[in-house]
Amino acid sequence: MDFVQVQNLCKNYPDAALGEFKALDNVSFVARAGEVFGLLGPNGAGKTTALRILATILQPSSGSVRIYNFDVTEQADFVRHSIGFVSNNTAVYDRMSAWEFVEYFGRLYALPADRLYPRMEKIFRTLQMDEFRDCPGVKMSTGMKQKVSIARALIHDPPVLIFDEASLGLDVMVARALQSIVMDLRDQGKCIIYSTHIMREVERLCDHVAIIYKGKLLDTGTLEELADRHEQNDFEELFFQLLTQGDKGHFDAKPPAGLGMRLRTDSTASQGSAL
Amino acid sequence: MNWSHVKLIFHREVRDQLRDRRTMFTICILPLLLYPLMGMVMLQVAQFHREQHVSIGIFGYENWPSDSPLILESSDPSQIRWKTLTVDDSIGATLEQFQTVQTQTNSEFKNKSTESYIVDGKAAEKLLRQVHCDAVIWVPPGYHRSISDNPLVILSNQRWERSQLAIRLLAEELEGWHLSWIRTQLAWTELGTALVDPLAIRQLDVSRPEVKRALVWTKILPFVMLIWALTGAFYPAIDLCAGEKERGTLETLLCSPARRKEIVWGKLLTIMCFSIGTAMLNLASMHTTTSIVMTQFSQLGATDMVASLGPLPLHSMGWLILLVIPISAMFSALALAVASLARSTKEGQYYLMPLLLVGMPLVMLPMIPGVTLSHGTSVVPVTGAVLMSRAMIDGEYGLALLHLPTVMAVTLFCCFLSKQWAIRQFESESVMFRDSERSSVAQWIRNVWRQREDTPTCNESILCGLLILVGLFFGRLSLSGMPQSWTSVVQSTLVIQVGIILTPALIMATMLTRCVRKALRLHRPRPLDMMAAASLAVCLHPTYMAFAAAVGKEYKLGEQTTSMLMQFDSIISSTPIWQVLLMLALIPAICEELVFRGFLFAGLQRNGGQVRAILVTAAFFGLSHGVLQQTITASVMGVMIGWIAYRSGGVACTIAFHATHNSISMMLAWYSSRGFNSPHCLSWAIEHCDGHLAYTSTWGALSVGIAITLIAWFATRGSVLSNPRSSIGLNDLHQQRVKFTA
Repeated sequence: MDFVQVQNLCKNYPDAALGEFKALDNVSFVARAGEVFGLLGPNGAGKTTALRILATILQPSSGSVRIYNFDVTEQADFVRHSIGFVSNNTAVYDRMSAWEFVEYFGRLYALPADRLYPRMEKIFRTLQMDEFRDCPGVKMSTGMKQKVSIARALIHDPPVLIFDEASLGLDVMVARALQSIVMDLRDQGKCIIYSTHIMREVERLCDHVAIIYKGKLLDTGTLEELADRHEQNDFEELFFQLLTQGDKGHFDAKPPAGLGMRLRTDSTASQGSAL
Repeated sequence: MNWSHVKLIFHREVRDQLRDRRTMFTICILPLLLYPLMGMVMLQVAQFHREQHVSIGIFGYENWPSDSPLILESSDPSQIRWKTLTVDDSIGATLEQFQTVQTQTNSEFKNKSTESYIVDGKAAEKLLRQVHCDAVIWVPPGYHRSISDNPLVILSNQRWERSQLAIRLLAEELEGWHLSWIRTQLAWTELGTALVDPLAIRQLDVSRPEVKRALVWTKILPFVMLIWALTGAFYPAIDLCAGEKERGTLETLLCSPARRKEIVWGKLLTIMCFSIGTAMLNLASMHTTTSIVMTQFSQLGATDMVASLGPLPLHSMGWLILLVIPISAMFSALALAVASLARSTKEGQYYLMPLLLVGMPLVMLPMIPGVTLSHGTSVVPVTGAVLMSRAMIDGEYGLALLHLPTVMAVTLFCCFLSKQWAIRQFESESVMFRDSERSSVAQWIRNVWRQREDTPTCNESILCGLLILVGLFFGRLSLSGMPQSWTSVVQSTLVIQVGIILTPALIMATMLTRCVRKALRLHRPRPLDMMAAASLAVCLHPTYMAFAAAVGKEYKLGEQTTSMLMQFDSIISSTPIWQVLLMLALIPAICEELVFRGFLFAGLQRNGGQVRAILVTAAFFGLSHGVLQQTITASVMGVMIGWIAYRSGGVACTIAFHATHNSISMMLAWYSSRGFNSPHCLSWAIEHCDGHLAYTSTWGALSVGIAITLIAWFATRGSVLSNPRSSIGLNDLHQQRVKFTA
C-alpha cells in the first residue's frame, strides 16, 4: 500500500538575488508500508524542503503529495495525525522534562489519559528513557534529545514516520540504536521516510532510495536496481557518479520505480519490544 | 479552531516562562525591587539635600547697617553657614578690582535692588578657594550710610553646583532682609508698612484632596503602566517566537496537530498574561512605594507640590486595571507579530526600539496639556483609552461613559488587526523559515531590473508613497509660510504636485516597470463612466462639506492657520477663476490620481489586494495633505475614490471625480470671497450664509439619494469598467475655508 505518494512536487522560494529559487523541481516518488524509503542528497539538495512539505510545515508550490491517502494541502489536519516527524530542527524544550515533553504532545494529539500514559510507559521503556524521564531538556545530551524527539513522534502511533537527518551528530552507539529502532518500526509495517547523506546508513536501512540533487530527482529505485542501472556496486561511488552526471545535466528525473528486493548489508536483529 | 489546543499551548508557555529566571526577573522581581530602591534613593537624596550646607563669607561686615543686622544671628535653621572674614591687603586689592568689572543682572536677584558681579578673573576663583566659601559678599565702605549708593558685591562661581545653591539661598535671605529693612524705614514715616504689601490675596482651592492628589497621577500612571505593558509583552514574545526559532522548538510545534491560528492564540494569551502581570506588579509596587515615600517626604518638610502628590489614590488602581487589559491585548499581538519576524533573540531585541518609537507618541499624546477626551481623541488608539481612564480617575464618569463605546470599538479593532497580523506572520513561510539574506545591493538592483513587470510590485508602490511623504515634509518646510501672491501659489503648487508627487512615481514607473501605461493605470475611459464619476463628485460634495465641517468642529484649526486661509482666499479672489481651476483643481487632480490611484494602486492591488490598495492609497492620499483636518477628510474620501478606481480599472474616472470635486470647492470659495450671492437658478441648491456660499438642506438631502444611486450604478458595472478614476481634491489649505461654511 502506498503510504506516501509524491507527484511532480515543486517548491519555489523568493530569492533577493535570483528572484526565484527552485528548491524542488518536479520530484516524484512513492513510499510503501513496511519499507524504509531513503531520501538522499548532498547538503542543499532539497531533502529538508521535501520532508517539511510532507510534514505540512511548508506548502508545495505545485504538484501533489498524499500521506496515508490524505492530501497535505487540503487535509493537513489528518496528515499531521498520520505522521511523526523527527529532524535536527525539531528540538526539545529546554525547560521541560522528557516526560512532560512527550506528555504535552500526546495531549495535543488528543490521546485519552488511559491510552496516553500506558503508551508513554511503553515507549520510555523501549527507548530506554526511564533514566532521564525527569531530566530537563537543557541538561540532556544529544542522544537523549534525539530519543525524546523519537518518543514524541511515536506517541500517537502514526503509520508514517519521517526522519530528517536524524542521526546527525549522534555517536556510534546512539546512531546504532536509532537504526535499530527504525528497523523495528519498519517490521511493524510502518512507512519510514529516512533522509540522510551517510551512505552506510542507507545500505543498512533503506529498501528504496531517491537521490535528489539541486531540487531535481536524479534517480530512484532499490539499491540493486540502481547498481544494475549504473553498473556500480559501491553505493558511495554510485552516489558520487550520479551527482557528477547531475552537474553535467545528463540526468532526467526517473518515474517512481517498482518495489525491488531489499539490499541490506546488515540485518541487525530487532532490539526491544515493538512500539 | 480547537480551543483545547489553545489551552494546552497556553498552559505550557506560561509554565515555561515561569521557569525562566530571566523572564521572571524582568517581569516580577524587577518591578518589586525597582520602586522601593528608587524610593530609598530619592529619600536619601532628599535627606542629603536638606542637610547640605553652604558657606557664605562676608567681607566688611563692619560696614553693614548696625540698626538692621544681616541674618547672622537668626540663620540657624537655614542651610547657610556664615563666615565673617577680614580684609587683608592682598584680598583688599582683589576686591577693589571687582568694582570695575562689567555688571550683569543675576536671575536670582532680578527683582531686588542688589546686583551680582560676575567676574572672570582667576583671582576671584582663587579668593573663593582661599576663604573656603561657596559665595562671598563684600560690604563696601560707607554701605551703612547709604545702601543704594554702594551696591553689595557678591562673588560666586556658577560652575560649582554648591555655589549655585549658595546664591539661591542668599537671594532668599537678602529678600527677607530687604523687606524687613523697608518696613523698618517706613515705620519711621507716616506712610505705614502697608506700602510693602499693598495687595492682599486670599486663595481658596475648592478641589477635594483626593481628586487633587489624583491629578498628577492620572498623567504619570497610564504612561508608566503602558510602557511596562509593552515591555512585559515584548520580552516573552521574543522568547516565544524568536527564541523558539533559535532553539528549534518552533518546528516541533508546527508539525503537531495544533494549527497556526491555535498556536498564535496560545502564545498571544501567554504574552498578554505576562504583559498585564508586569503592568499590575509595577502598579502595585509603585503604589506601595509612593505611599511610604510621600509620607516620608511630608515629614521632611517637602514642598507643596510634592506634598500634594500624596500616596496613589486607591480607586485609580481599579480604572487602570480596566485600561491595561485591552491595551495589553493590543501590545501583545503587536509584539508577537513583530517578534515572529526575528530569527533569533538578539535580532528580536533590535525590533523593540522601533515598536517603542511607534507606540510612544500615542502614549505621550495624552500628557500634552490641554489634550482631553473628546470625539476626536477617542478614536486615536491607545490615546483614547488613556484619556478615558484618566477621566474615570478624575471622577468624570459621564464623559468617560459617553466615549466608552468609541474607545472600546477602536481598541478592539486594533486588537483584531494586530492578532490577524500575527496569525499571518505565522502562516507565512518566508517569515517562519527565512534564511539570512544575501546583502548584495548591486545584485539586487540587477535583479529588480531584470524582473520588471508591467506593473510595480507592492513594495515598490509603498516605497514610492513613503518617498512622496518624505519629499512633501521637506518640501513644505522649504516653502516656508503662506504664499504672498498668486505667482507664489502657482510656483508652490507646481513644485509640490509635479516635482514632489508626480516625478518620483513617473521615474519609478519608467525604471521599475516594463509598461508605463499599465503602471499608471492609464486606460481609455468610457464617456458614460466619466460623466457618472463627475456627477458623483457633485452629489457627494455636500456630504463631504458636512463631514469636513464636523471634523473642523472636533479638531479646530489654529488661529495662525485660519488667518493663512483667509489670506489665501484673498489671493485667489483677485485671480481669474479659470486660472484658479487650472492650478488648484485640474493639475492636482491629474498629478495625485496618477500617483495614488495610478502607480500606488497598481502595485498594491496585485495578488488580489484590492481592499489593501483602496485603504493604503487612501491613507497615503490623506497623509499627503499635511494638515490634520485635511488628512482625515481626504483619507475618508480617498476610500471612495479608491473604490471608483477599482471598479473603473483606471485613473480617468478618478481624475474626473477629483477635478470636479476640487472645482466645486474652488468655485464656492472664489465666489464667496468676492461676495457673490447664489444665482437665482441655483437658489434651491446654494444659499448665502454668514458671508459664504453653502448648500441648502434640500440639495443636501437630495444629493445623498442621487449619490447612492450612482454608487449602486458603479457597483453593478462589472468588476473592471473601462474608465472611472476618482479623485478628491483637497490639496490646498484653501478648501478648508469652504468646508467650514457648509
